Amino acid sequence: MTEQTASDGFDWTSPAFASQLKKRKRSQLRLKLLGLSAIAIAFAMLLLLIGSLMSTGYQAFTQTHIALEVFVDPEEVDADNPERGGYRDILTATMHTQFPEVADDRAALRKLTTVLSNGAQFSIRDAVVADPGLIGQTVTFDVPVSDPYDQLNKGLINRDTPEENRRLKDDEIANFDLLKDRGMVTKPFNIGLFTNADSRFPELAGLKGAIIGSFYALLTCFVLSFPIGIGAAIYLEEFAPRNKLSDLIEININNLAAVPSVVFGLLALAVFLGWFGMPRSAPFVGGMTLALMTLPTIIIATRAALKAVPPSIREAALGVGASKQQVVFGHVLPLAMPGILTGTIIGLAQALGETAPLLLIGMNAFITSAPSTPFDSATALPTQIFIWADSPERGFVSRTSAAILVLLGFLITMNAIAIYLRNKFERKW
Amino acid sequence: MYDAPTLERDVTEAKTKFSARNVQVWYGDTHAIKDVSVEIEDKTVTAFIGPSGCGKSTFLRCLNRMNDTIDICRVEGDILLDGEDIYDRHIDPVQLRAKVGMVFQKPNPFPKSIYDNVAYGPKIHGMTRSRAELDETVETALRRAALWDEVKDRLDSPGTGLSGGQQQRLCIARAVATKPEVLLMDEPCSALDPIATAQVEELIDELRARFSVVIVTHSMQQAARVSQKTAFFHLGELVEFGETGHIFTNPEDERTESYITGRIG
Repeated sequence: MTEQTASDGFDWTSPAFASQLKKRKRSQLRLKLLGLSAIAIAFAMLLLLIGSLMSTGYQAFTQTHIALEVFVDPEEVDADNPERGGYRDILTATMHTQFPEVADDRAALRKLTTVLSNGAQFSIRDAVVADPGLIGQTVTFDVPVSDPYDQLNKGLINRDTPEENRRLKDDEIANFDLLKDRGMVTKPFNIGLFTNADSRFPELAGLKGAIIGSFYALLTCFVLSFPIGIGAAIYLEEFAPRNKLSDLIEININNLAAVPSVVFGLLALAVFLGWFGMPRSAPFVGGMTLALMTLPTIIIATRAALKAVPPSIREAALGVGASKQQVVFGHVLPLAMPGILTGTIIGLAQALGETAPLLLIGMNAFITSAPSTPFDSATALPTQIFIWADSPERGFVSRTSAAILVLLGFLITMNAIAIYLRNKFERKW
Repeated sequence: MYDAPTLERDVTEAKTKFSARNVQVWYGDTHAIKDVSVEIEDKTVTAFIGPSGCGKSTFLRCLNRMNDTIDICRVEGDILLDGEDIYDRHIDPVQLRAKVGMVFQKPNPFPKSIYDNVAYGPKIHGMTRSRAELDETVETALRRAALWDEVKDRLDSPGTGLSGGQQQRLCIARAVATKPEVLLMDEPCSALDPIATAQVEELIDELRARFSVVIVTHSMQQAARVSQKTAFFHLGELVEFGETGHIFTNPEDERTESYITGRIG
């Protein structure tokens, strides 16, 4: 447009202008396509992630069970002391009735019972302890099968592999197929994934301990970081004088938000466990560690939300003689609340997925019972994933993916709540 | 513009409400108000006029210490309200602002109900003892702001749902509800259409019966219409102050004349 002169009109039909217009349109189109392809790539990555997790994880949401007619032999179980019965022998006898042709020697019978999960005897014991009237009766129990047979039933063991390279030998497969032909094998939804705590045996391992541990840790984290974070943000944003010191504090808070989480874990290890001697592996301590990380996020989100409240509202309240405190708590804070809540939930979602600091304070311990208080030893969802990913049993492969899917489910729920709150309480001026 | 309808002027001896002497205001290093002395009378509408950035709003905000909220702002000189220095150490700015109400340029009702908007001031100052008394205060304030008839059936609906003119009258009602002695208005009509402006101007004239009103305006017609006294500010200085009729018909200073005839500003 350099040829344009000061006074006379610009020639809007000139070829130079036409070519410039074309160029502008082309670059606009290019930008649009780049943006679209960026979104497409991100979406494809997400699909790939979810897809690969689904493809291995969906197997863990079902569990092969076997329905056994168990005769609770009064010779094995003493009605006065049902905890100490010979439940293993009862199961062996039960399996023997299914395969009467198997010789009555210990090794052969033991091999038969490997079809059943190690936990089967305990679930029968629990049922008998709960109702000693079962002694002497024949009861149908639905018990999980052990991991190799579960794999076989889910088609994860290839029957065409040469026998010596296969986890299950031909005769074992034949036995299982026989049970299957008799209609005893079912594959229901794996409730145990949510109602069992961790176990050495994949077919018994569940996320209950991890979910409760994560819940306690997040609760502690929220209770600590929400009030402290909001308090700090209100002071810094509304009351603190603007000087070198407050600048320094602001810079340091921003830096804290960027500190790698493993550093917070080391700090917690040294201070909470080392100095104060707090319990190892406890969700309460995990929550305190996560609170250290969540605090800067909440402070930054709260300050941004406070800043976004229009100054006209502050002036209006000051103008009728409200004190600074009345302005902040009566007007600014309620208006900033949706932003604060969104920031908090996103901070908590981040904390939920955090692994490294929890590993350092020992929340990756192998614990087979769910915690009943925040001070009991427990794992958290991400550390449970870490433990399972490290386990050699085949069954843990799909369970790891399933646990990741459960964690993602919680994250999506939390973020959805954040978006819902934001939309619900967003003020239109 | 000289034939704009001017109100009947009341030039009887009025009591001085605000008395400012040698007021200086700095924003950091910027000298925003230079040595301004002015007497504002009770039950009078005083208009501050002048080009953008001349300091008229700054000076207005000194009168209820709204400038206190700006860290870098520094005020020197004396501003006396009924003979008492409002920048004195023992004066509480919060109480002062209840006594010297303010209406802002952009209508800024709280995102609460109409009732709560008006009731807020009396509530925080503990001016009423019962709900009935509060109801009465709210009704009186809304009547004084000429808004009662329009909103009496929907006091629970949000104040932000009203039209711009109604919102501004709601803000006036909110300021009036704390029974102030002075009402400061910072370009109260600049965001309003002509009809809403006319309503607010009419209201200002009614309010004059009870308070001293100080209004900053960009519109010289408005100053001529609503005020009895006019102060002309230019580049932080008070150039001329006097009877509105006098300033608009017979300005003494050359700059005033240039401004009101549209040559500067």
